[in-house]
Amino acid sequence: MRAARYGVVVMLALICLGPVLIMALTSLKVQTDIFAMPPVFFFAPTLDNYRAVLLQDRFGTYLGNSVFVGVVSTVLTLTIGTMAAYAIVRFRFVGRSVVSSTTLLLRSVPLAVLAVPVFVVWQDAGLLNSLWGLVLLYTAVNLPFTIWVLYGFIAQIPYELEEAAQIDGCGSLRILTTVVLPLIRPGLAAAAIFTFRIAWNEFILALVLTNRATRTLPVAASLYITDVGIEWGRLMALGVLIALPPLLITLIAARHIVAGLTAGAVKG
Amino acid sequence: MARVGAFKSMVNRSAPYMLAGPAVLVIGFGCLYPTLLALRLGMEQWSLGTPWSSATYVGLSAFGLALTDPVVLHSFGVTLAFAAVVVGCEMLLGTALALLLEQPMRGMAVFRTIFIAPMMVAPIVVGMMWRYLFDTQYGFANYLIGLVGIGPQTWLGDPVLAFAAIVLSDVWQWTPFVLIMVLAGLQNIDQSALEAARIDGATPLQAILRVKLPMLASVLVVTALMRLIDAFRVLEVIYALTFGGPGNATEVLPVLIYKTAFVSQKLGTASAISVLLLLVVSALSVAALAISNPMRDGRR
Amino acid sequence: MQRRDGLKLLAATALCAPAVTRAAHAADRFATYRGTTIVVNWPAHPHYDAAIPFVVEFTKQTGIKVEIDKMQYMRMHDKQLLEMSKPQSDYDLITILGMWKTEYVKKDLLAPLGPMMKNADLADPDYDLADVVPAYLNNIGAVGGPKGYLAGPGAELYALPFGTETSVLAYRADILDSLGLQPPATYDELLAMLDPIHDKAKIGAVTSRGQSGHQATHAFLLHLNPLGGQFFDENWNVEFNGPAGVKAVETLKRFVETGPAGIPSYGFGEMENAFLLGQSALYLDTIAVFGGVKNPAKSKVDGKVRYALHPKGARYSAESGGFGIAIPKRSANQEAAFLFMQWITSKSLDVAIAKAGGVAMRNSTLDDAGVLAMYPEYKLLKQQLVYTDADWRPMIPEFGEIDEQVLGLRVSEALIGSKTPKQALDESATAVAAIMKRGGYLKT
Repeated sequence: MRAARYGVVVMLALICLGPVLIMALTSLKVQTDIFAMPPVFFFAPTLDNYRAVLLQDRFGTYLGNSVFVGVVSTVLTLTIGTMAAYAIVRFRFVGRSVVSSTTLLLRSVPLAVLAVPVFVVWQDAGLLNSLWGLVLLYTAVNLPFTIWVLYGFIAQIPYELEEAAQIDGCGSLRILTTVVLPLIRPGLAAAAIFTFRIAWNEFILALVLTNRATRTLPVAASLYITDVGIEWGRLMALGVLIALPPLLITLIAARHIVAGLTAGAVKG
Repeated sequence: MARVGAFKSMVNRSAPYMLAGPAVLVIGFGCLYPTLLALRLGMEQWSLGTPWSSATYVGLSAFGLALTDPVVLHSFGVTLAFAAVVVGCEMLLGTALALLLEQPMRGMAVFRTIFIAPMMVAPIVVGMMWRYLFDTQYGFANYLIGLVGIGPQTWLGDPVLAFAAIVLSDVWQWTPFVLIMVLAGLQNIDQSALEAARIDGATPLQAILRVKLPMLASVLVVTALMRLIDAFRVLEVIYALTFGGPGNATEVLPVLIYKTAFVSQKLGTASAISVLLLLVVSALSVAALAISNPMRDGRR
Repeated sequence: MQRRDGLKLLAATALCAPAVTRAAHAADRFATYRGTTIVVNWPAHPHYDAAIPFVVEFTKQTGIKVEIDKMQYMRMHDKQLLEMSKPQSDYDLITILGMWKTEYVKKDLLAPLGPMMKNADLADPDYDLADVVPAYLNNIGAVGGPKGYLAGPGAELYALPFGTETSVLAYRADILDSLGLQPPATYDELLAMLDPIHDKAKIGAVTSRGQSGHQATHAFLLHLNPLGGQFFDENWNVEFNGPAGVKAVETLKRFVETGPAGIPSYGFGEMENAFLLGQSALYLDTIAVFGGVKNPAKSKVDGKVRYALHPKGARYSAESGGFGIAIPKRSANQEAAFLFMQWITSKSLDVAIAKAGGVAMRNSTLDDAGVLAMYPEYKLLKQQLVYTDADWRPMIPEFGEIDEQVLGLRVSEALIGSKTPKQALDESATAVAAIMKRGGYLKT
């Protein structure tokens, strides 16, 4: 019975990793090995595909754009989101219920719906083609989820801790930074990972809102899907490079991801 | 509320607005306003590449036209079928696996990390990856079915197989999500009820059906709703994998919206179709929130 | 030949006499723009890949920097529209397909080339526009005229052909020889040899495009014209669902049945790849295959391939089209972009790029001894160009929608068997008629 369960787990792991591994293997193959049928599993690996991708004129720019957008929108989302979640947990204020329910509803707006109107609004606001435009968008679409997750964590903090700080004369902002933040670190980690994941991976809106100077890596990858014989080796190399940071984060912080995924649905 | 009463000073009274203000502004401008604007844009006939001033107002009739357009209805059907099949498969598989793997086992943390991995990969990369795997001439899928004696299939050139391909890619990426949700739900189950069932002589299967599943009910429903919402939003994987083809066999609503806006350049029509999608997704969200609203109460 | 007269007119208005006589010194032309950077939107395409090494040469000669933004061509249209609808166009030179030209002009997105060609400060007196293959210039560059998308009175030039194509038949001589078959001269001969090739040589007969959307429409129109059909009659009434149209779809269905596996998912790349990897005996599509066959990284069939005219159906005909380069109206560097465009399509560059594996678009290049020595198939190309028809598809602004969302879907459905050819075409005809009414071509 135990062996059988291990068997199932190993099978599952193989299925989960299989396609990613094939992508990685393909990225190390020369063209003739890629076109081999049946597929070859033992071959002389080459870094040519990576060299081609990395040395491509603008790879550095695209990478820089992706990192900037990913990091800045994550920091912004967490800062603004923590403040808002704290306000919703601890205060009764006019509009509180509207804010919280709208937030929850907006969490599920499909990005396809946003593409056209955001294009229009961003054009009017002069945000097209700019990295800040992308940062603003990702912050806006990630805030609802972040507030949702952090709400759960903040609500679990015993109010007495804050009260004690208040009696010591701390203002709300002080309380938030000195008492609350240290206690919700796991929540912050989960929210950060999910925000970064969207900002790093998102493609459709980045395609619409950027130009050649502000393109992110997923957009660059989409431009590789040519009709004139897809260059699978390079495409898979680029795929590996895009997938790597989120996978590394998974390796380091799987615990927090589980917390983020299950927040609100399981414990609530 | 007594606790709120404790915040007396002016500073404290303005505090919630200062704290929530930035989020309200950003969400309002970046997410809520565009969403509402979609409703308004849906009433215009406006082509990409022309100035906004050249748009012609067609009013609510645009929504009527969109709702009766056979292309939209077909796409709606594809979306429903996709969502139903995908969520059905993922729920069944994920729940079964969770029940199987419920007992603590050594090394589970490592495996859990592996299971999360597919969810973290960029959808556009997932699409490209599966497009390679389903390639007719040198894809891995044809190699695998060749091992059991089935001839090469043109996965992405056949309407049924292409649909199967987008389903497979989604099931691959998101079954682990169900697994993790249900595992977490199982950890919260009151052990005494299970103990009582065992003492009553229930078989493991009976324990699952009579005790575990009922206690998991709310987790299962919320998980299914979350997956449904996501299934209605899938765009990028299909963009890279089939772009809606062959024919329009895999043209789910988000793909149709993208194509209408940026391939056919009918920005107004695309917005009108968006509203249809928005309605469906909002209804699902309201349902999910009715069952489990994490912010229902000010504090717990 | 009304069409040819119209073309002369087009060339005459574009290249006014004074510009030709007043020899502006080449160096002077470029001096003003030294240090300018122009941004060029190019497709991932063999012709453009062959041209890229020469761009450095242009910068060296003129001091004008060229930044190339390369992308796959089926996404280029969306991206260009997005860019050009922004207040300041990011691109100074874009690559277009002939079928986009009228839509772009209607939306006022392109700068006409005539004024710049007449401007003595910019124009190269040795340019010789009349040397450009007329069908190409007409198909890719002309907007206006009686039909709106071809040369004639009132037409203006908006793009120069670059990366052009026409259709030819490529065949595996080794396979046809082993079966005792002659290369097909007519569609009947072609259709008769599908089964023998498929059954006896155990290889796909004809490779074809078939992917839903533009690719399926292209495949259909490729055969419609030779088989005697036309898209519209003189009064914009739909005619493609007549007997010739049905025959064209049926022909495609036969290709699917006897061809390499997967035609309904093939875009141009997959289609060409099947031939180059030895999975089909025949190839009936653009001359881009000339370079592909010789490319050792992609081709397993070099040395086994011969070429013949696009087979005759009811008449000899071949498609014409491919890419052209044009200048966005909102570009801030129109003149510098024009200088680059003029330079890269000049006589000497056309020869150089052809030798590097690109496709020639000038008659003088087709006669160039050096080019012919490297590519004997250019002799056939010259013959084919005699029959090439610039009017094989209606390049009206509405064509994009018809192409992607109507015919492309329905033909694809016929190819996968979910509709009969007649059904697919009739449904398309109804939808196209509605589009034509909406566009004001047809009275209700």
